[in-house]
Amino acid sequence: MKLLTIHIACFLILSLDVYSQQVRQIIGRNVGWKTLSDGNNVRVFGFADNLSQYPDVPGPTLEFTEGDSVIIDFWNISQGAPHTIHLHGLDVNQENDGVPHLSFEVHHMEHGFYRFRAPAAGTYLYHCHVVSSIHVQAGMYGLIVIHPPSGENYSWEGGYEIHRDHRLFMSEIDTVWHNDTVLLHEYDTTSSMHHVKIPIYDPQHFLVNGLGQSQLIDSVIVTGQVDENIYVRLANIGYYKNIVVLPSGLNARIVSSDGRPLSTEIETDSVVVYPGERFGVLCQASEEFESEISVVYSNLNTGVSVATEVVEVDISGFLGIDDSEHQPEVRISPNPADDFVTIDVLDQENDEVLVKLIDPNSRVLDVFQITQKRTRYDVSYLPSGTFFFYFPRGEEKWTLKWVKK
Amino acid sequence: MKFVIPFSIFILFASSGLAVELDTIFINRGTYTTIDSNQWTFLAFNSSPAFSSQNTVIKLLESDSLQLTVVNNDSVAHGFEVKGKGGVSSIAPGDTAYTSYSFSDENVFVYHDPLSSSNSRGLGLGGMIHVAKANRTAFYWNIKELQSDWIEDLAQGLPVDWTTYYPDYFLINGRSHPDITQDATARVEGSVGDTIHIAISNTGNSDHSIHFHGYHCEILKSSFDTKWVGRMKDTFPIQPLETLLLQLVPHQVGEYPVHDHNLVAVSAGGIYPNGMFLTLLIQ
Repeated sequence: MKLLTIHIACFLILSLDVYSQQVRQIIGRNVGWKTLSDGNNVRVFGFADNLSQYPDVPGPTLEFTEGDSVIIDFWNISQGAPHTIHLHGLDVNQENDGVPHLSFEVHHMEHGFYRFRAPAAGTYLYHCHVVSSIHVQAGMYGLIVIHPPSGENYSWEGGYEIHRDHRLFMSEIDTVWHNDTVLLHEYDTTSSMHHVKIPIYDPQHFLVNGLGQSQLIDSVIVTGQVDENIYVRLANIGYYKNIVVLPSGLNARIVSSDGRPLSTEIETDSVVVYPGERFGVLCQASEEFESEISVVYSNLNTGVSVATEVVEVDISGFLGIDDSEHQPEVRISPNPADDFVTIDVLDQENDEVLVKLIDPNSRVLDVFQITQKRTRYDVSYLPSGTFFFYFPRGEEKWTLKWVKK
Repeated sequence: MKFVIPFSIFILFASSGLAVELDTIFINRGTYTTIDSNQWTFLAFNSSPAFSSQNTVIKLLESDSLQLTVVNNDSVAHGFEVKGKGGVSSIAPGDTAYTSYSFSDENVFVYHDPLSSSNSRGLGLGGMIHVAKANRTAFYWNIKELQSDWIEDLAQGLPVDWTTYYPDYFLINGRSHPDITQDATARVEGSVGDTIHIAISNTGNSDHSIHFHGYHCEILKSSFDTKWVGRMKDTFPIQPLETLLLQLVPHQVGEYPVHDHNLVAVSAGGIYPNGMFLTLLIQ
């Protein structure tokens, strides 16, 4: 009897799903506005985390753990043509693939549920696949990052330890495509195939993480310390080719693509990313420096490079070296935290410090000056995840990794 | 041993199993009807004097040799070249040229007109050679694109400015979606667990980025960069005059799209989704 009980217990334990179930709600809306680097606004379609948000471009980054049982609850509150979510690269089954005539459409005020098991750790995309030429350009796209079961500090199971995880997500905007005459295309819901006229594509705005030119400078920073493994995820959802040129001091090598480790890693400072592709680039600086990553946008028909965007790179400090010269003179506690953190300035002579809060997509979320030894900072507005507090002060710079519960 | 080209003659060498294929290919000018019923002048390499908008796929086996007769049925001179293996620089209108090649390993090659390659490809001229292992078949995607308002200038031999190229028709084996689904050489049909090879050539003038839904594929051969071999990917860049050989082993049933992720290329005459888009059907 005792043996039987043990057997039953073992069976039940083994039968349990060792991976968690993740339910993620995403809102689809047609009524977003995006401010471009020239100050003009264009209408966008997009995805948002909740009803109180207007869609941003790109949409929220979805993060799961390999093996998770995931349900994306897509609530389309927009009017007009339906929307879908195509899980680009996740190799989900046909029903959940998000192609209108082969799976299902999500109409106004409907919920669509996409169910899948999170595949191999890596970088993926999601986007609407209804008249995809228009809806992707309209802004209905985002990144998906799948972490390995061993945790966010690894590239994939059995892969590289990563100390920094930066994401550079490229796209373009042609403002003509954002006129209502294009966005609000006809859609015959009785037809399985939808034929829609698309305009000439001639983008004027070139984006990294949804930002271009002056918006990008100082708003997206790739930070790290000497000898850290800095993992830069590159993805392109635009209709142009990207040539991403990294500083030679990063000693970059391409280690993965499209959610799989490469059979042969490539040491290079230049990574070409075509529409729909993703690359994982492992960087490890051997000395401190400031430089920039250039992203060149090249026309696929003419081969002509039409624009370059620049992302700041700042390598300061040394991994694991307890050198007083590089000891941060600030402290953040508690870590992790939920609602508030306390920032303590340890420097006895100077308590004025500039602070930049950077999200996992290398995007600067907040910039503020602290002028006293102890400052309480509200973090309740942040989603769960890993963030960086970056403190540039003259020649001295510190970056502190911090986790929101 | 299976060849589809009707004029093929095989001389088998019993000792080695190697074959020499004697083949004839015709450069034909004809009229191409687009998915939206426009009719344009078009050039193609065909296996007979009769024009077809689908450039012939030359199918060989590893270690085969090819002795090729090229007949220029067009009214202007053209050449013939297998990229990386040479050929004939110029064949006068009505003339015939002879060339030969040997192929060692499984691979995919582009053949084209080197005399005015971009302009000829702008009218559709460019095909694929697939060298297979014994008993191995493949599906064939010869992709290209056309700029409709350049067709007549190109057909008359007038110059065009390729730095302003803006194609508006995107073809696989000379067809657009949904017609391409009718092409059994292109439409991948198989079963879970099958080993499926897909030979892709880009005989257009634009870069393309081919995305698979539902599956990752392994790159078996890449003419652009041998370091790409072995990569498992869902999106495959392919540059003009380059080729890829992919291996797909489906793990799930279903009908899944494959399309250019330059989403402008999923159109014809500006109409979505009549471009470079087809589906795989796995039972």
